[in-house]
Amino acid sequence: MSIEIRSIGKRFGSFVALENVNLHVPTGELVALLGPSGCGKTTLLRIIAGMESADCGQVLFAGEEATHLHARDRKVGFVFQHYALFRHMSVFENVAFGLRVKPRKLRPGEPEIRRRVAELLQLVQLDWLADRYPSQLSGGQRQRIALARALAVEPRVLLLDEPFGALDTKVRKELRRWLRRLHDELHISSVFVTHDQEEALEVADRVVVMNRGRIEQIGTPDEVYSSPASPFVYQFLGNVNVFHSRVHGAWAEVGRVHTGAAADAEAMAFVRPHDIEIERHPVAGSLQADVQEVHAIGPRVRVELAHASELIEVELTRERAAALALVRGQQVWLKPRQVRVFATPTTTLEEGGSGI
Amino acid sequence: MTKPTMGRANAEPRWVRMLLLSLGLGFLFLFLALPLLAVFVEALAAGWAAYADALNDPEARSAIGLTLCIALFVLPGNLLFGIASAWAIAKFDFRGKSLLITLIDLPFAVSPVVVGLVFLLIFGAQGLFGPWLAAHDIKVVFALPGMIVVTMFITCPFVARELIPLMQAQGKEEEEAALSLGSTAWQMFFRVTVPNIKWGLLYGVILANARAMGEFGAVSVVSGHIRGETNTLPLHVEILYNEYNAVGAFAAASVLALLALLTLLAKAIVEWRMRRETRMLAVALPPERQR
Amino acid sequence: MPLRSLRQKVLPGFGLSLGCALVYLSLLILLPLSGLAFKASQLSLSEFWAIASGERALASYRVTFGASLLAALINAFFGLIVAWILVRYSFPGKRLIDSLVDLPFALPTAVAGITLATLYAGNGWIGRHLEPLGVKVAFSPLGIVVALTFIGLPFVVRTLQPVIEDIEPEIEEAAASLGASRLQTFLRVLLPALLPALLTGFTLAFSRSIGEYGSVIFIAGNMPLISEITPLLIISKLEQYDVVGATALAMVMLIISFVMLLAVNALQWWAANRHQAHAASAGERR
Repeated sequence: MSIEIRSIGKRFGSFVALENVNLHVPTGELVALLGPSGCGKTTLLRIIAGMESADCGQVLFAGEEATHLHARDRKVGFVFQHYALFRHMSVFENVAFGLRVKPRKLRPGEPEIRRRVAELLQLVQLDWLADRYPSQLSGGQRQRIALARALAVEPRVLLLDEPFGALDTKVRKELRRWLRRLHDELHISSVFVTHDQEEALEVADRVVVMNRGRIEQIGTPDEVYSSPASPFVYQFLGNVNVFHSRVHGAWAEVGRVHTGAAADAEAMAFVRPHDIEIERHPVAGSLQADVQEVHAIGPRVRVELAHASELIEVELTRERAAALALVRGQQVWLKPRQVRVFATPTTTLEEGGSGI
Repeated sequence: MTKPTMGRANAEPRWVRMLLLSLGLGFLFLFLALPLLAVFVEALAAGWAAYADALNDPEARSAIGLTLCIALFVLPGNLLFGIASAWAIAKFDFRGKSLLITLIDLPFAVSPVVVGLVFLLIFGAQGLFGPWLAAHDIKVVFALPGMIVVTMFITCPFVARELIPLMQAQGKEEEEAALSLGSTAWQMFFRVTVPNIKWGLLYGVILANARAMGEFGAVSVVSGHIRGETNTLPLHVEILYNEYNAVGAFAAASVLALLALLTLLAKAIVEWRMRRETRMLAVALPPERQR
Repeated sequence: MPLRSLRQKVLPGFGLSLGCALVYLSLLILLPLSGLAFKASQLSLSEFWAIASGERALASYRVTFGASLLAALINAFFGLIVAWILVRYSFPGKRLIDSLVDLPFALPTAVAGITLATLYAGNGWIGRHLEPLGVKVAFSPLGIVVALTFIGLPFVVRTLQPVIEDIEPEIEEAAASLGASRLQTFLRVLLPALLPALLTGFTLAFSRSIGEYGSVIFIAGNMPLISEITPLLIISKLEQYDVVGATALAMVMLIISFVMLLAVNALQWWAANRHQAHAASAGERR
């Protein structure tokens, strides 16, 4: 079932949580709401679930008005960041809860409930834990039980709030691959909230990047990563070097042609570390810099260089680094392969970059 | 960042809320507000002059004096016991700890009348030490010492019960840090521990004081009801009430009710200070998650 | 008592503080209580039994336990409502009302006793309206229930409040998103979570009520066999210089106190440990 968000706005006192948010989630898609903390992504998810009411705007499920529908009537599966399992119920009873509270007419019989719960526990590969209590499970197991519980009522939409946020790195990676496979099996329209760009890019069909209560960009993982629509998206998704036209005239010019920005406007050029080539000799349009640090990080080599007082980060393959044989203090020339130029915004940019 | 608001999914229907509010507040009105009001109305039923006379009565004055005197003797012992037991229980691990905690709770569970009787059996004329005390002309029962001892028994848990959870929550890192910085044991105690527990300490003393001044059953058994001598304020209330002197009884009762209100006020202030301090600590920490 | 510290002690004062605490406890509480037990043990078992199961004694147990049970039940019901509205709802004067809940802890029992007796007497503010209906509260067993309800009021409220505060809103949202109605959420999710605290508060109120003396004697009427509570029976035996009889009854009360104390501890242990068994064995296996 598709979800349609129209001009949703929400304030908490003087704090604007959401402002004029429009979003369409087509049937069967897995969408990530990505943004820094406080950007409104969880609020948006809670509004979709009916746990928070919007100040203005509409929520439509499959084209039907659902803005004022109570949470219990939305048929939405919600998975909480901290699982919110019922701790006095066994795993089985947790999963069965949604079936047991159905109105008497719709409530399945006990054998049917047993069958359905067993099926769901198999789906999340935890059927052997049915008699345990939540406090006896690990974080990853709890998260999967929470998911099974949400799926028990056959929701039309699945919403997940930071589903892997409370887990350690290894479990998190396993679980998100598993979630992706599960989604490919079930094809329920799903929205999940995350602040981890790697998670969003890896799992989602589409990524919605949010900042300060607004949507910055909607696109496939490839689109938002390789052609960010705004400086914020550029900085939030991966590392980036920022050059100001005033300082780095020559480089900013490279991209100006592409964007068609006014020739005299001040501009900023964004270049990803792996889109910069290091040359041992000057080339046309290159920038001179001194090597400061060379770190080998796994398969990549990260080089920090100084141009005047500014730090530039470049990422190379191991082979290329070996060929260059860089040493500290060495003078080299930098040439960008891909530059994106934006007019300098009047306000300063929010710190957003997080390392890959 | 906004405070987590109670989402609309968690709200009861309006009529349920109204019903619960009226049931709960009605119950509290009937059992708390009305009796409290009645004390003062009854005390002033014959006017301010009669009220002042009742309190100016020599017996009333001696009862007030005796009540204060008992509290004055009981509280320091309570304080020391509370700090000592809380220090041992909260900062160290030893076998029998939970048994000790249960023992501290014991006075809450024992009927005041039984407490009074216990000390009567020990120090009374036919009691275990009775003959010895009589031979040395020491009066414990039906005299001030006995009343102090039973009050100590009754109020013994108050300070400790407040301090134990507080000190357990605070852990012992700060004390260890103080020691590692070269402070002596007493410096550590007075400069680190006491400032950390001062509100809980005060809270416990306030509660113990209220109970010490208001104790009736246990004191009644060991007091012997000697007018003007072993009458505390609560016992004075009883005597006047049984003599159908309602104004006098309620005048004395109003003093105790005022004391109770002061206790509640002090408690509210202390709780407010404690909350403020923990909130200041919480602000210094990064928010766990956004909402 | 074995007192070996299990860990290396860094902090000073363990011996001093524990020593002080133990000496204080022993002198003030343990020795006197064993004195009572010693005195009671001078009775033969059959003598003890004869006193403890006398007609007046049995009637006093009935009155004490019946009234305490009823009062604790009333407190459990209304205490839950009061705790709920104090935590979840906002209304004018909430802070004031919240602090007023502790009044029964702070108000001397004698004051409570004479005030309640006056309120519920035939010419009192409340009694005046109940008398025509044929309901006699003061100077009847019902009056004991009223006094004990007052005395036990804070226990349930104060044990429930922090537990209600600790319930994560997510739990209720999860239930709602799974289609549960508000009533279903309360009965299936909230009540089971509150049950240990509710039982603890109930037991605390009950055990306090059993021993209560000051507030009851003024309103009870104190008619033997009808509205005489056990503590009062002990006092009247004392006043008749029947120290042996008083001692036997006090011993019964003391044993009951111990049982109640154990019950509260067991409840708290259960609340902390239920659903925790085998927690260690459940690793991340798959």
